[in-house]
Amino acid sequence: MSDNGVVLGLEGRVGLSAHEDARALVRLIQCSQCSRPLRTPVTLPCGHSVCRDCLPQPHQRENISYPDTPDRQTGVRCPVRLCEQEHPVGEVNVDVTLAKIMELVCTMVDKARTNAELCPTLVTELLAKDDLLSEKESETEKMDEGRSNTFYGGRLLSTFTMAELGELDFRADVRYESLSDNEDQYRQLDLELLEEIRETTQKELDCQICYNAMLDPVTTSCGHTFCRRCLTRVLDHSSYCPACRRSLPIPPSLSQQQSNERIKSLLNNLCPETIAARAEAVALEESSGIGELNVSLFVCTLSFPQMPTFLHIFEPRYRLMIRRAAESNRQFGMLMYNRSRTSQGDLGVTDYCMYGTMLHIQHLQMLPDGRSIIETRGLHRFKVLETGMRDGYIVGRIERVEDVSLAEEERLEAEEIRVHTQPPDSPMEPESNESSNGNGRSNNNRPDVDSLTTRQLLERAMDFIVEMRGNSAPWLHQRILDAYGEPPTDPANFPYWFASVLPIADEQKYLLLTTTSVRQRLKIVVGWIRRLEDQRW
Amino acid sequence: MALPKRIIKETERLMAEPVPGITAVPHEENLRYFDVTVDGPSQSPYEGGTFKLELFLPDDYPMTPPKVRFLTKIYHPNIDRLGRICLDVLKSNWSPALQIRTILLSIQALLGAPNPDDPLANDVAQRWKEDQNAAIQTAREWTAQYAKV
Ligand SMILES: [Zn+2]
Ligand SMILES: [Zn+2]
Ligand SMILES: [Zn+2]
Ligand SMILES: [Zn+2]
Repeated sequence: MSDNGVVLGLEGRVGLSAHEDARALVRLIQCSQCSRPLRTPVTLPCGHSVCRDCLPQPHQRENISYPDTPDRQTGVRCPVRLCEQEHPVGEVNVDVTLAKIMELVCTMVDKARTNAELCPTLVTELLAKDDLLSEKESETEKMDEGRSNTFYGGRLLSTFTMAELGELDFRADVRYESLSDNEDQYRQLDLELLEEIRETTQKELDCQICYNAMLDPVTTSCGHTFCRRCLTRVLDHSSYCPACRRSLPIPPSLSQQQSNERIKSLLNNLCPETIAARAEAVALEESSGIGELNVSLFVCTLSFPQMPTFLHIFEPRYRLMIRRAAESNRQFGMLMYNRSRTSQGDLGVTDYCMYGTMLHIQHLQMLPDGRSIIETRGLHRFKVLETGMRDGYIVGRIERVEDVSLAEEERLEAEEIRVHTQPPDSPMEPESNESSNGNGRSNNNRPDVDSLTTRQLLERAMDFIVEMRGNSAPWLHQRILDAYGEPPTDPANFPYWFASVLPIADEQKYLLLTTTSVRQRLKIVVGWIRRLEDQRW
Repeated sequence: MALPKRIIKETERLMAEPVPGITAVPHEENLRYFDVTVDGPSQSPYEGGTFKLELFLPDDYPMTPPKVRFLTKIYHPNIDRLGRICLDVLKSNWSPALQIRTILLSIQALLGAPNPDDPLANDVAQRWKEDQNAAIQTAREWTAQYAKV
């Protein structure tokens, strides 16, 4: 988990206090753009949250064919200064958790207003210095005063009201002057309001999967937030959002997804003790796994994510392994033999190839003599980091292999397409190497694979399947389709299906396990098709 | 293995805020195993009956759904002779955001709305479609015979 360091740093930290930290508390729910309390908040892929109305108008994006959904063809330029990236509209949705929290906060604030008349507070905005100037002017200690106004209530309520009226800049600090001499009453009002807010919002800050306060929260494109590790586990089993069942963009490259900064800082500032304790427990759980060889590995055949693998288990050591898996999480890793005895990175020359696929046991049929027949389904790819032996079979420490984020996927495509579609009057000299000879066509008068859009790559492969079916290719026999299903239309998984049915060497197919983008996999697939068509195999 | 926080919380909430007409009590020696009772909904052929079920939370719950089975004999097109239940949320429509409470409510709702078009007990479903009144009468008789405490 990329964020553990940050979360662990909270040990011993106490939450913001209602009276002294009133300004910081209000900032937690203030929009960085309009400076008002967040209204219909959206959380962007960069992890920042702003009001929906604070986003610029969407524009058309260029050179992107995958994922080909209308909501990714348009984008918005991120208004957050730290980001300023283009976000696809499909990934910009109302943050359900934040929206609910804002609704609760507003209700609590309205309630608090009813008994605040006796506590007028003069609040003065102290403007933040421009970042560039701050160093130069740091000698003149005093900050510039901004707007000033009298509000009713303790510090918390009056600061909120000031922000609500748009009179308090997101970055500004404030100065308070109580206009009645009952200082204790102000403090009491602040404590009561914060406590009520803390209590009512706590349930919203609990993860719907583990029922704990969310640890390293990530938000799906549909706007639902869960602990990163909970969502990762969910995605091992299905590709639907647990909360609304909308399908989530696959492949889930969760490790690259940004945390929801707003929810994270709400949690860190409202209940740091809980979060620190949780982070500690998780770190302990994970460190007990580090250095520990905790995944059973079966060296047998080549398997792919989403695809079925049927196994007949007869060797006693593997019977034991499967039985243990069946009694725990029903998972084990599948590796293929390293027949060419090539070196496997840091592992050296091993009997197996270092990239594999985690399998989940779907059906297990025990035969009376102890043998078993199992049907498995591929979950995700992994890379072996270290291995040892347990009761005759290999166990290892592994690392998941994931695709780059969809944003990076889109960037890769847009860049390659841009390079290959130079306008004809481009001043660039035609290059002599084969991969980009002038008009982007190779010797065979076929376009270079790099010049095809991701969508075209998939279409090329789909066309090939149709053509081969027309020719009654034996590898597309009904019996095979019964086992592997019809070709998936999802470009991320299509190559795995294709490799599962195509009669070429496993060493070629194995390359798919090492890829980190959908486009890269589809290019490999089209490469195979071309070699088959040229009968170079 | 320690019991996950989620299971502890779900159990606490089931005890603290019970669902009307439903009880679920964990076994002392195995807190993943629950004795369940569901009262037949009013206006249904199961009205007046109290049905016993067993519910088990597998190791990878909530990633996979709870396993639930009727122990009391029941005449219903979506429940077979072994007490197995044909209900989408217990299979493909399971989501980790669902919980024991919602599952038991769905089962209670299934008693109120038998669906012979998606049968598990084919003979019952057949009869339900051919002669609904007779099928409902049988369901009533079974309720009186097996589900009265
Ligand atoms: Zn951004
Ligand atoms: Zn705003
Ligand atoms: Zn969680
Ligand atoms: Zn959702």
